[in-house]
Amino acid sequence: MHRITDFIVRFKEYFTFLLLVVISLWFISLGDVSRLGGFRTVVIGTVGWLQDMFSWIPNTAVLRSENKALRELNLQLSAEVTQLRTSVIENKNLRDMLSLKARTELPMSAAEIVGKTYIEMRNYFTLNKGSAEGVSDGMAVRSDAGLIGHIVGASDHYSLVELIINRDTKLAAYIPRVGCNGILSWEGGEEFVLKNIPKSFGIKTGDTVLTSHFSNKYPPKIPIGWVSESRELTGDIFSTIYVKPFVNFSALEQVFVIHTVPDPERMKLINYIDEKIKTRKGVRK
Amino acid sequence: MKIEQQSTAKAMTIRYVTYSMIALLLAVMDIVVLDFVSVGGLTPDLLLILAVWVTLSEGRMTGLLFAFGCGLLYDFITMDIVGSNALAKLLVGLVAGWFYRENGVNQNLGSYRFLIVVFLSSLVHNLVYFFLYIKYTEISFVPFFLKYGVAISLYTTVIAIIPMLYRIPRNRIIR
Repeated sequence: MHRITDFIVRFKEYFTFLLLVVISLWFISLGDVSRLGGFRTVVIGTVGWLQDMFSWIPNTAVLRSENKALRELNLQLSAEVTQLRTSVIENKNLRDMLSLKARTELPMSAAEIVGKTYIEMRNYFTLNKGSAEGVSDGMAVRSDAGLIGHIVGASDHYSLVELIINRDTKLAAYIPRVGCNGILSWEGGEEFVLKNIPKSFGIKTGDTVLTSHFSNKYPPKIPIGWVSESRELTGDIFSTIYVKPFVNFSALEQVFVIHTVPDPERMKLINYIDEKIKTRKGVRK
Repeated sequence: MKIEQQSTAKAMTIRYVTYSMIALLLAVMDIVVLDFVSVGGLTPDLLLILAVWVTLSEGRMTGLLFAFGCGLLYDFITMDIVGSNALAKLLVGLVAGWFYRENGVNQNLGSYRFLIVVFLSSLVHNLVYFFLYIKYTEISFVPFFLKYGVAISLYTTVIAIIPMLYRIPRNRIIR
């Protein structure tokens, strides 16, 4: 017994070590710290309180990394916001187009603008639909907002639209509120000019202007714009009406091609008369 | 004789209380301000340095108990698996205890030997601790230990220079 006691005393450090190892392993075997109950909660509370107390000290390394992370997040969010904004606009456009398609009786097909050309005050759009999709010369093109122009040429998969903001534009327009027709022309700028409207009609600012059934290019009742100003000159029986188009031409992306062409017989007659007048004018010269 | 014994016991008690207070302070520092000196997410183990210091100053037995206590304290404050740091720090007490010389305390603490003991103890500590740490994960032990265990040991050893310098006799520094 005495020898055992001597042995233990001699190697007391190692016995202590073994005992503490056993205690450590027992603690580890507990695993789930919740078994330690309230004491742990107190420690967590105290640690949290201490950390909170010193949280005012700025840590430059952490700030730098946080800054970097925030900058990256900012960039990512900015890209997402841009994408969302684009989606909202696109969504609105598509919804408008869908509702337009539902309320019109004219046969139409949607097309996307793939190019915009401006040559000597002549404005053209290139569409991604051509003769293979049934698009042909003379077809009117519109958006959900209103009239855009008409097809002046088509290849298999592309077509060219001459816009109504064009120096050659002269189209028959109609103001439904007063039931009068006039000739709409574009003289540059953002507005059209409607001529030959007698003062007596009393055109007001805000009146809607549509295509007339007299038009030989466009189907009737397509919105063109609204009256922005009615100018009456003293001694003149006609008013000069300024019309602002409904369509924002610079922001267009999608359009509709109306699959109706003007009556060929009527067009033939008009062309014939035009040629005849030009010939006469040439003879006179 | 009795008075002398009493004063020795009193001095010892004061020393142990001081060690305990320092341990508590270092533990608080560990959770509160050690992030400020972190390098690549690694921080030095201040309690380990203290455990080595106490072992080399007071002997194996005290060292073992103190190191175990430090480990347990660390387990609680870091919300780690209770017992994991206690076991690892216990090994620190054991390793540092092998270098204890009753008549060579100053030589141990005030020289590069202290740094060697800290480094070796830290390696053993990290070996055990990381083994327990990644036991239930799919992390490969050797690369993990070589990457983090050795780095922490080196960082801890660098910090251990401060107490070593404190213990170097002034006349040696001036000379």
